[in-house]
Amino acid sequence: MIEFKNVTKRYEGGFEALRNVNMQLDDGEMAFLTGHSGAGKSTLLKIIALIEKPTRGQALLNRINLKTISKNKVPYIRRNIGIIFQDHQLLFDRTVFDNVALPLTIQGYRYQEIAKRTRAALDKVGLLGKEKAMPITLSGGEQQRIGIARAVVHKPMLLLADEPTGNLDPALSREIMQIFVDFHQVGVSVLVASHDLSLINDLQKPVLTLNGGQMTHNDLQPIVGYQS
Amino acid sequence: MVMATSTTRRDRPEAANRLLAYFIHHLQSLIFSLGKIYTAPTTTIMTVAVIGITLSLPSGFYVFLKNIEAMSGDLSSSTQISLYLDLNINETVALKLSKKLAHQANVQETKFISRDSALLSFRQSSGFGKSIDTLSSNPLPHTIIVIPKRSSDRFVIKNLLNSLQSLAEVKLAKLDTEWLERLFTILEIAKRAVGIITLLFAFAVLLIIGNTIRLDIQNRYQEIIVTKLIGATNAFIRRPFLYGGLWYGLLGGIISWLIVELGYLAISGPLERLNLLYQSELDLVTFSLQDFIILLTSSALLGLFGSWIAVAKHLNQIEPK
Ligand SMILES: Nc1ncnc2c1ncn2[C@@H]1O[C@H](COP(=O)(O)OP(=O)(O)O)[C@@H](O)[C@H]1O
Ligand SMILES: [Mg+2]
Repeated sequence: MIEFKNVTKRYEGGFEALRNVNMQLDDGEMAFLTGHSGAGKSTLLKIIALIEKPTRGQALLNRINLKTISKNKVPYIRRNIGIIFQDHQLLFDRTVFDNVALPLTIQGYRYQEIAKRTRAALDKVGLLGKEKAMPITLSGGEQQRIGIARAVVHKPMLLLADEPTGNLDPALSREIMQIFVDFHQVGVSVLVASHDLSLINDLQKPVLTLNGGQMTHNDLQPIVGYQS
Repeated sequence: MVMATSTTRRDRPEAANRLLAYFIHHLQSLIFSLGKIYTAPTTTIMTVAVIGITLSLPSGFYVFLKNIEAMSGDLSSSTQISLYLDLNINETVALKLSKKLAHQANVQETKFISRDSALLSFRQSSGFGKSIDTLSSNPLPHTIIVIPKRSSDRFVIKNLLNSLQSLAEVKLAKLDTEWLERLFTILEIAKRAVGIITLLFAFAVLLIIGNTIRLDIQNRYQEIIVTKLIGATNAFIRRPFLYGGLWYGLLGGIISWLIVELGYLAISGPLERLNLLYQSELDLVTFSLQDFIILLTSSALLGLFGSWIAVAKHLNQIEPK
């Protein structure tokens, strides 16, 4: 699913946010990405989501090189990924339903199909009754669940979440994480960046730890064919 | 509790459905962009009003010119050509020629004035009666007055004049064209001026719409970022803005049409009186259906083009960070 080979990311001011990172997440695997603030977690996810490009090394998504991908293919690659942000990134001038339906609208699904899938996704995050509500009227936890519903509504192969529980209390955090585990159990690959260590320990999934841009701990299998 | 999700091939909509969905999406963006306009009435009304006022100037000039042109056409068809025949042509031949010419294409009617009646009226009107009596013979020729058909334009009249001049019986064919030529030259200049004004104001509309769409793009920055992250193509994101521009242009065109029609109503009273004074049979005109369609189509296209420029310049620069 995801392969990083000696990936280095140097931002425009010269700061190296990732240094020689190697990792491999297989199809259907789930892992947590941890590390202090500024360790490079978001940068790693952004490279997978084609928001940033690696400066050196190879980043592959389903064997597609994310560095050399042409600009007009980017939208189609992104449709294979569901992304969840800490700050939800919802559109506040549209209803919950319209927010969740957005990935399907973009991909040109018919309305009946959109309605069916959107309700299914809302059902999964426990918000079926709120489809006509405006996101601003909902709590932080509920808004995050809208974000999750939107990320999974088009059945992506890979879910990326960047500190999805950052602003939530422990009970809500656990609920949100459980939703990701549920998706993993039906075959979706999941990579969640989080620094909620106690919650991560409880869930007993492989952990990747970044420290100052370097990967200091890797529970996943070493990448195939890697030479140092 | 979990939705059936699989990493294998997903059931994407098939081709025919996609095409249908594509058209439905176009329709949705068209209506959605109208909805956006509706929900932001103040800015929209301002923009549309500015576009309407801007467009009303060239279209108003156009209607004005159209009336002047119709009026000048009327004048040119009220001109007449005088044919002075050879002195050795006798009255029967001259009369026959007059009747023959009356049937010619482009000729409305002819009037025959015999040399005797010409002399008579000259004697009565000129006050030279006594001295004319001393002349041994009548120095005036037979004359035929040729009146061209009403619909004739100046080229038709010129051609008619030339063909009449080349007749063997005709010594001189005379048309006082100088003032007509002058009028047509002025009209030509006015037409070009309207052309230049139209170009300038079309450019102004382009700028107005471009700027409005640019602000619109800025206001929806977050929405653009989010839809890009979800996998929207640039074409998808572009569409509502392009349709927004189309609506601005179209609504502005309708406003300009209303302004011109109202302006026409305001001046049609005095114009009608002027018309009566000159005993002209001219009907005043505003936009024909064709003009109306052209006005709305071109204003809509201007809107589309203006937003297209703004979108090309600003939208592709927005990338998620
Ligand atoms: N666009 C950017 N330009 C320059 N530096 C950046 C940029 N984005 C992130 N950084 C820096 O890279 C480092 C890693 O950032 P990030 O990946 O966001 O860390 P994390 O998500 O683990 O907190 C930080 O020191 C941050 O300041
Ligand atoms: Mg981060």
